[in-house]
Amino acid sequence: MRVPITWLAEFIDLRDTPEKIAEILTLAGHEVEEIFDPYRKLGEIVSVKILEVLRPEDLREVCLCKVTDGKEVYTVLTTAIDQVKSGQVVAFAKPGSMTFDHRRIETKVVKGYESKGSFVSPFEAGVSEIKDRLLIFSEETEIGKSIYDLLQIKEPVLEVAITPNRGDLLSIYGITRELHLITGWDLKVLSLDKEKLPLISYPGRIEIQDTDGCYRYAGRYLRGVKVGESPFFVLKRLFLCGQRPINNIVDITNYVLLELGQPLHAFDWNKIRGGEILIRRANPQEKLTLLDGREIELHEKDLVIADREEALVLAGIMGGESSGVSESTEEIFLESAWFNPKRIRLSGQRHRITTESSYRFERKVDPEGIPLALKRATELILALMPNIEVSEIVDQYPCPYQPPSIDINLRKIHKILGFELGREKIDSFLFKLGEVKCEGEAYSIRPFSYRQDLSLPEDLVEEIARLYGYDQIPTTFPKATIFSARPRSDLIFNKKVKEILRAFGFYETINYSFINPGSIEALNLNPTDRRLDVIRLTNPISHSLSVMRTTLLPGLLETARFNIHREVENLRIFEVGKVFYPAKDLAEEREFLGLLLMGDMVKTPWEGKKRPLDLFDLKGVLEAMSLAMKLPLQLRPGSEEPFLKAGQSFDIYLEGKRVGYAGAMKKLIIEDFDLKEPLFVAELDLEVLVEPYFRAQKNITVNKPPKYPSTFRDITCVMEKNIPFEAIEKFLLNLKLPYLEKVDLVALYEGEPIPQGHKSISLRFWYRAEDHTLRDEEVEKIHEDIAKGLFDHFRAKPR
Amino acid sequence: MKIEEIQRIKDEALRELRALRSLSDLENFKVKFLGKKGSITQALREIKGLPLEERKKTGAELNQLRQYLEDELESKKRELLFLEEDKPLDIDITLPGRRPLYGGVHPLAKVIDELCEVFTPLGFEVVTGPEIESEYYNFTALNIPEWHPARDMQATFYLQSGALLRTHTSPIQIRAMLARKPPLRIIAPGKVYRCDADVRHSPMFHQVEGLMVDREVSFSDLKGVLSYFAREVFGEGTRLRFRPSYFPFTEPSLEMDIGCVICGGEGCRVCSNTGWIEILGAGMVHPEVLRAVNYDPEQWQGFAFGLGVERIAMLKYGIDDIRLFFENHLYFLESFK
Ligand SMILES: [Zn+2]
Repeated sequence: MRVPITWLAEFIDLRDTPEKIAEILTLAGHEVEEIFDPYRKLGEIVSVKILEVLRPEDLREVCLCKVTDGKEVYTVLTTAIDQVKSGQVVAFAKPGSMTFDHRRIETKVVKGYESKGSFVSPFEAGVSEIKDRLLIFSEETEIGKSIYDLLQIKEPVLEVAITPNRGDLLSIYGITRELHLITGWDLKVLSLDKEKLPLISYPGRIEIQDTDGCYRYAGRYLRGVKVGESPFFVLKRLFLCGQRPINNIVDITNYVLLELGQPLHAFDWNKIRGGEILIRRANPQEKLTLLDGREIELHEKDLVIADREEALVLAGIMGGESSGVSESTEEIFLESAWFNPKRIRLSGQRHRITTESSYRFERKVDPEGIPLALKRATELILALMPNIEVSEIVDQYPCPYQPPSIDINLRKIHKILGFELGREKIDSFLFKLGEVKCEGEAYSIRPFSYRQDLSLPEDLVEEIARLYGYDQIPTTFPKATIFSARPRSDLIFNKKVKEILRAFGFYETINYSFINPGSIEALNLNPTDRRLDVIRLTNPISHSLSVMRTTLLPGLLETARFNIHREVENLRIFEVGKVFYPAKDLAEEREFLGLLLMGDMVKTPWEGKKRPLDLFDLKGVLEAMSLAMKLPLQLRPGSEEPFLKAGQSFDIYLEGKRVGYAGAMKKLIIEDFDLKEPLFVAELDLEVLVEPYFRAQKNITVNKPPKYPSTFRDITCVMEKNIPFEAIEKFLLNLKLPYLEKVDLVALYEGEPIPQGHKSISLRFWYRAEDHTLRDEEVEKIHEDIAKGLFDHFRAKPR
Repeated sequence: MKIEEIQRIKDEALRELRALRSLSDLENFKVKFLGKKGSITQALREIKGLPLEERKKTGAELNQLRQYLEDELESKKRELLFLEEDKPLDIDITLPGRRPLYGGVHPLAKVIDELCEVFTPLGFEVVTGPEIESEYYNFTALNIPEWHPARDMQATFYLQSGALLRTHTSPIQIRAMLARKPPLRIIAPGKVYRCDADVRHSPMFHQVEGLMVDREVSFSDLKGVLSYFAREVFGEGTRLRFRPSYFPFTEPSLEMDIGCVICGGEGCRVCSNTGWIEILGAGMVHPEVLRAVNYDPEQWQGFAFGLGVERIAMLKYGIDDIRLFFENHLYFLESFK
């Protein structure tokens, strides 16, 4: 909220600078975000010297002036022919600036003459009501200076963030009341109790039909008003608060809203059929055209102000087009009401409207301030038009406001605050908040009607702490039960995975949880694939962030794309994050791991050891991960994922369950993502790995240094090329041979002199006995069996 | 062979021994004195003609000399071999080495870990919660009913199912309290979502939520724990400021500012010239929230706090654009390790 310091000063004896006032408010919980001067925000309005006045023959009502601010020369067209003469210093608004009455200054061309900027009147500059002449300075005035500096106009305005519980601070008067509460500075109480003028009787009828929606409805009738422009002081204050003027009547209602926080509405009396005002629920399908020209269909829960025929106003939110005050209005009805905050809020949300009025009703207005606001508006109108006739105030108030009675005792205060505060202090604070009854250590407080934020003992404790000063409160450490839970297993596991990948040279990335639906469609998935069934946002920021991810792949690809377009061609990244699937209860969220490798394997470039990544780089990472985690991840060749190359991919299994995939992405898909080969990806469901991981950590077989030496024998043989290595491994494993410790693949060769369609494969067999040194005969015996078995089974020949 | 002759050989050998500079010198020396035709070997052969007494004496002397020279040669050889190894290779060792790859964790993950590590020694247990939440957990149970203007403070992403993306980590408070019996202490990091995006806001960001419920945890204790936290994270000398604030789920509520780390309190763009930077919101758990999880507010009280991870990371590392975190450019990621 904008709070002009000069307006505050009208109600309170300000004893400090704007900066200090800002600090006082901030430390009381009302953060002052900015101190600014609206005049300075208009742009460059400066003093310039007229160098020359030209009267081209083809221009009749205007003349052309050459002016300078001391740096540049501008040509300006002006109609004030008889006011300008060379040598004069005048106020000049540069192009791009804005006048007090909201005119944007631009460069324009008239009959081929360019006019840059504009001379301004005192009114356009916002310094007085004078409109019919230019703002002219004495000739010795310095040029190129802000006219507000020259005129010593300072209008500091505080931009205060008011928390939603403190609707009572959404007014100048409310802020002064709060300043008084905090500082004790003298408050000039607003007193409008006695209206010294003859009142006519109210000529109409008011009926609150919906007492849930409207708690209090007051109004009065005024006859003989003349609608026109507001006086300068009203315009200036609206300007300082950032509001546009409409006409004197509407401006005065807005002025009172800003000053007292009570929204008012002015009706054209003649548009209220039968002089009958009904506060009721809207009828089904009832329509209303609002002040902004928008026609809305009302909802039965909406509260409206209607005449006997139709809704005129969406209560507390916005007036109707037809019943508003216009230039020809002579009789008005002024409304001041107290509406149910929830109803106003929900209505506003339904129709997506927030106004200065609804904003305040939602945050609770002061029920006792309602007649006061009417009187204040009347006072302001009468000052302009002393001869109008004013009716009595009609005030429908079926259930007068009852403040809650809050019981609190010293023990509770001390228990929450954690320290003992002197009794006198507490008393002095509580007495500023409402009516206090005190018995021993127990208090019963009925807060003032504007402090509707106070309803619980805890609210009072906050007030006590606030008035005491948060910085004064001691800092202590909790005296609490000692306990500490073990870190959760999934969190430990995730950390482990990240550590391993980091050690393998991977960088962690964090990508948005929402993705472009197109990026999943681009994966060529089977139509029944679960990942196509995405959770959609109803109000996404953009289409490209509109569905929840069901795979980490699109995010990783997007990151790869971002990098490749910014000089990074080689990338090893991963992400640990959630994917989301629709489920009956909220959603199914699963923690996944995604990997992406792209570009070259670069070791030491100067050695020339650079080669494109291949499948074994990815496979090696997964195998090493599997070893590091002691999880027997199984890589089954030929992934079912349609976006992977079947011949260069695996499905990853653990204990017979599919837990992920890995492989080379199809070139056609990579190109859709604006990326290029080689590019390898893998994705694993981390949640299913957690339990096996911790199980594996418990079953560790400990190997000891050998007691007896090992010995090895090699077999080199030629076999058909299409026999997978995995088959050989499996065959050997099934032999269950004594003393065989391990088998290494030491060489693989194809080409001359090996026949086509065949390969030469060299295996090294390591033998060791645990209780003696193996004798040659023992080894030979076993080794011969193996060789024979291998040759027979795979139809291989020794080489 | 005369005694003088032997003495001459001896003198010559010792002199040349001192002059040995290389392994080849050493080899020549060996040949000259100790080889088959070496002068000492020769001399030993020649003394056969001497009388027994003299032969014995000279022989012993010569053998002693031979032994001495052999020992000296051996140590000289070791010395020279050592020197040999110090000789520069014919290679430029200023060339870059063969570096094993080493990656890095994301700066936000790093900050989250650090924040959690501040609280776990105080007995706070790290917990997480779902990112897709219901209105109930995200708002209603936190004392933010549908009509509450405080909902304006958090622009919410809704899903077609009627669920929403959590706007803060506070629903984890509710879930944790329901799943446990008091007393409890939790710290809950996670992603949160709000539908505003500009240079200063990202539609997805991270928060860390803390909650402590016990019989006597007070507002002063909250100040104490937060002060401890701020000094752990931002350094011992960090200036702190506590301001009243408003959150529907805490009462009394506060916001904590730290002295601007950029300008040191002088006033700059980052702190909007106030010299202070808001770090977190906190307060005593609202009785309505305790009631929502069936804790008796007369018996239990506690505090909760929530802080923005990106903001802390930006301050810690001097990052001025929140988007850098989610673009994941390698140069950026490499800065952290
Ligand atoms: Zn600063």
